Order: sequence, then C-alpha cells, then structure tokens
Amino acid sequence: MGSVLMAASFCLPLRATGQNTVTVKSTRDPVDKSYRKMIRGMERFERERAFAPNATLRFQLLPRLPSTDMRGITLRIAGDTVSVPVPVDENNFFVLPRHAQALQEDAAVLASRKTASMTWRARIESPGLPDGTRRLGDLRLECRVGKEAGLVSNSSPLFGWISDALNTPEGVCTSPDGNYLFFAERPIFAVTLRAGERVETLPFNMLYAGGDQTPDMLPFCDCQALLDRTYYVPLWDASWPDDTLVEFEYMVDAPGGVAP
Amino acid sequence: MKLGLLLCAALLAGCATQPAPPGSIVAAERLSTVVVAGRTTKAELLAAFGPTKSVRFDSGYEAWVYQSPAGGGQFSEFVVLIDPSGVVGKTRTRAPSTQ
Repeated sequence: MGSVLMAASFCLPLRATGQNTVTVKSTRDPVDKSYRKMIRGMERFERERAFAPNATLRFQLLPRLPSTDMRGITLRIAGDTVSVPVPVDENNFFVLPRHAQALQEDAAVLASRKTASMTWRARIESPGLPDGTRRLGDLRLECRVGKEAGLVSNSSPLFGWISDALNTPEGVCTSPDGNYLFFAERPIFAVTLRAGERVETLPFNMLYAGGDQTPDMLPFCDCQALLDRTYYVPLWDASWPDDTLVEFEYMVDAPGGVAP
Repeated sequence: MKLGLLLCAALLAGCATQPAPPGSIVAAERLSTVVVAGRTTKAELLAAFGPTKSVRFDSGYEAWVYQSPAGGGQFSEFVVLIDPSGVVGKTRTRAPSTQ
C-alpha cells in the first residue's frame, strides 16, 4: 500500500510556490495490529469452535528477523485515550483482553519491538495431544482466526497486490494455493499426518515455505527467521478429518529421546 | 500507466519462469547404498549424484531432496539432512502419495 501511495504521490502536481504544510499528529505503522481485527479473529474462534471444540486460543509473537531479541517483550493496546498493558509469557504467548473503549477508539496492539522485526500468529491448542504433535482441526481454525485477525506480515507490495483478491480467510484456508504458513516449535525434518490407519508424510514442497525461497525473496516472507520451522498442511483436504494428528520429526532429536 | 505496464511485465515474466526442479532423479537402490547417516559427506553426495534441489538454513543445516522412480510414473522422495559440519545427519524416504 505504501508503494501505491508513493507512486500516486509522484503523479500529483507540485506547487512551485506557497507549499502547503500538513501536520500529521501521529501515524500507525501499518504492521501494527488492529485491535478490532484481532477481536474479530477471537469472535471467529468462538463461532467456528466446531473445528476444535475443546481448544483454547492465544496469540503468539515470533521473530521475523534473525537479529530480533524475543526476550522481555511488552505489549499494550493503544487507543487515543486508553493504554492497556497485555501480559506476555516467557514463550511470547498472550491472551488479548476485551476492552470496550479500545474497540471504540479503533486501538492498535503495539509491541515493544520494531514491527517489521516480528510476525504474529494465532495459537489454538486442544488439550491432551501427544508431545511433538498438533491437531489438524486446530490448525484449520488457526488459519481462519489468523487471517481474520490480520496477523500475517508478509511484506512484498507486489505479492500484496496480486494476493489481495484471494487474501480472505476463506480464500487462504480452503484452497490448495492458500499457502498459510505454520511454524513448529523447533527445526523440522519431516511432518506426517496420521488419521487412524491412514498415515502420510508431507512432500518436501510443503516444508520450508515450499523450499523455493531465494535469498532475494526471503525478506518478504514472514518465515525469514523461521524457515527451518515452516510447514504447510492440507487445510483444504476434507479427506483428512479435524482429529488428524500432525506429527513432527525434528532435525535434532531431544536429549534422551524425550520430545520437548 | 507505466507502473501498470511494469506490473504486467513482472507478472508475465513470473509466468514464464520454469518452476524449480523437484530434485535430481536417482534410483532408490543407489541412494540407499551410497548415503549413510553419520558418515556420508556433502562432497560425496555431490560427487555421486550431482547437485539437487536443496534448502540451506541460517543454522548451517541443509536439506537436500532426490526423486526415485517408483513405478507407474510415480516417484518416491529421498530427503537428506546435512549437518553444519557437512555430514549427513538423517535421511528419510517418502513413498508416493496414495491419492
């Protein structure tokens, strides 16, 4: 969007004399998250709990640059008159509180880091899963909530223009071309789907953001710092039920064979 | 207008680009004979099979993928994890999709 505005500004006639001055009191970084959007994501979670009936919803901050220091991050909801601190745990998970005044003021959710240095995701987890696994229904709902909440921070203007038309939760989360990126806890070597007797390992091109990211492309992907933890799952494929387990084999096994 | 033309050109150029090869084709028997986790080096892989599709990570690890004919026009995937010291750490084989 910034590029569009910049390009448009080149087309505006310049006034050679008597330049007008516009005072901008404040501006929001476009990557800061909209509180209203994140609340809409939470409302979608409640509406579509059938994907994950017993799950809980949190949000997570993740590094977008290799240099990002993810320790000690603070978070707040900031409106014109309100500022509400949001506790962030040691793994950078948080639960967003509801605040009527912040909604009314169209507040932003701001973290104590440069916005381009992080990305955000919804985290939906059903209880009682084996270590080193996720549940496909949880991931299906994560995609819908994450897109509704406007969390993904891929930043190429060109990609943005092209994908806007498809960039709805339905467009992304129900299409084989949706390419919603998930991040595992640690670098992955394999991801396997298991539903009863049916077991299938995902192809290589569903790991590492497709395995086609070049150094030139990587800065535009919010997987930049997490490429080795990145995977797609077939959210769109109804032949895999919501209770399908998504199992991870990590690059480095946990000490003593205990999954983290 | 110029911006629009540039965008169209970029789109057309993108459409004309061939997708990255999915990995060199190597018989499964050769892979299982040559590649031994904990012993085979990256240089030995290159010497035996040539370059293939790979991803290099900031950690120094690399993932390389080969395709092996599995009959009926299908291919199994053989994935090799190379550790930062340049030695194969893990391998795995993915059978052709059942669907």
